[in-house]
Amino acid sequence: MADKMNHIERAMAGLTNQPVDRLLTYPLAMGVCRRLINGTGITYHDWVSDPKKFAQAFIDGQRRFDFDFAIGLMDLSVMAGDLGAHVRMDEQNTPFVDEPLIKDLEGYEKLEIPNISDPKTRSNVLVEGTGMFVDALGKEVVTAAFLEGPLLALTQTRGAEFVFKDMYDNDSSRKAVHTALKTITDYDKEMVKAFAQKKPAGLVWDYLWGSYSCLGDTEYAEFEGDHKYAGCLNDLVIQEGMANCIHNCADLPHLDTQIKAWKPAIYSMAYYPLIPGSPSAKEVIQNGYADVSLIGGNIDPQGFVRWKTEKMEDMTKKLCNEVITELKARDLGGRYCIASGCEVPPSLTTKLENIQACVDTTKKFGTFA
Amino acid sequence: MANKEEILSGLEKAVVTGKKAESIRFANEILAQGIKPLDAIDAGLIKGMMVVGEKYAAHTIFLPQVLLAADSMYGALDILLPHIPREDAAKRVDMVIGVVEGDVHDIGKNIVKTMFTAAGFNVHDLGKDLPPEEFVNASKANNAQVVAMSTLMTPTMDSMKASVDALVEEGVRSQVKIIIGGAPTSQEFAEEIGADMHAVNAQDAVAKVKAAL
Repeated sequence: MADKMNHIERAMAGLTNQPVDRLLTYPLAMGVCRRLINGTGITYHDWVSDPKKFAQAFIDGQRRFDFDFAIGLMDLSVMAGDLGAHVRMDEQNTPFVDEPLIKDLEGYEKLEIPNISDPKTRSNVLVEGTGMFVDALGKEVVTAAFLEGPLLALTQTRGAEFVFKDMYDNDSSRKAVHTALKTITDYDKEMVKAFAQKKPAGLVWDYLWGSYSCLGDTEYAEFEGDHKYAGCLNDLVIQEGMANCIHNCADLPHLDTQIKAWKPAIYSMAYYPLIPGSPSAKEVIQNGYADVSLIGGNIDPQGFVRWKTEKMEDMTKKLCNEVITELKARDLGGRYCIASGCEVPPSLTTKLENIQACVDTTKKFGTFA
Repeated sequence: MANKEEILSGLEKAVVTGKKAESIRFANEILAQGIKPLDAIDAGLIKGMMVVGEKYAAHTIFLPQVLLAADSMYGALDILLPHIPREDAAKRVDMVIGVVEGDVHDIGKNIVKTMFTAAGFNVHDLGKDLPPEEFVNASKANNAQVVAMSTLMTPTMDSMKASVDALVEEGVRSQVKIIIGGAPTSQEFAEEIGADMHAVNAQDAVAKVKAAL
């Protein structure tokens, strides 16, 4: 069935809880789209080191798959790397920190915000590259920057296990964690302001530690949810003229805090059917979260690697039916975006045809008629 | 002077509350008073970690508290284990555990290791980013009955298969039960790569391995 709205019309309708011709769709295909560049693809190292190449993946992805959004996720080691942690850069694997920077409590105190205007930093590549794809695609789709929340950036810089222990080991260690979070929050503020200059429609935070398998309400409130951290960052995004959005691919996300309290424009989430309590799309909508935010989710990212195309079509169709039924039951508009629960695996084994199948199946079966 | 019950109860409490210095103090007192280390492990450390596991499963405590409890348990264990009679130590099931090659995310593996240790297994932690031969060599060296592997990342799931294949090729596979875990894995994937089982969390892993042995 031919679309009756363009991408931006559909996204704006979804964001404002208006009727849509069909559900929005955006499999979170970021790093994998580097495979489209030059027809043969480029390595991860090249992709994350050059703003033009970074942007090109989103542009090529849009031309190939016809998404409804473009969101500039690079990887989750950008900030830690620029703070000084060592990042391992395999040719075809997501870059990750293999040698944390902070080795002891003193290390928390010594963090310094990098100069993000330095082209050698990946923060700069990320900001400039985001600007480039916003320029190229901004009149076609809703664009957004992507940024690590303070606690995520800190756990990447120190190692999650150490951060979690330091939170409550003793008063000194707890204070040191807060000192580092303050520094990283200031770093995030600089990034938000830099992104705002590039005029994306929104900014997506990765707040993945807001998960009941990791932190309770009290712990999360103290170490990220507090106004001096995520609270002021959420406000800053809006003050800078962008829609505040959140991605959290955790199994048991803090939905009441991250959706009902913070009211993001978009909330992107995963679903883990094997984990008791992991919320399905149906439950998320039934419990009123789509009343507050446009929800994105929740196709298993592994499916893009492992499933035959027919299964991807079946799973997408099933999710479309589930979502439309529940949205109608609550008299909502296009408040759900058919997406992967987390980034589509960027590996060479990911089936590009499954990304296309997800988009095409949503176009065909995501209609509200 | 505290009696045996008070000391064991103190040890249990030190674990549950994540007070490592306290658990070390109690472990030393246990040795000083001639209490059997195995009794202390069973009635203090394991009991404490079981409480921690139950509270974590019920979401009344979270990762920071679990990790501090684990530290507390290991602090006492380091003192008590060398004093376990050789014949008792030999009865413990040996297992190797690690994160497969290309992946350095080990927080989940460390939780699983803790719960297996608390369940009485002799856990050989190989660390992270492990080439397949590390699993093979460690399994042989320790006469392991169980191999546990984890990965958090999708691209490194292939490393998990490579590790299972290496165990087959080196003739170790028939002597071990292989359990896998990590966010992108599933029972379906376990079967596909030739592992025996998959677990969604640490307690599930312990229960499945115990049932399989």
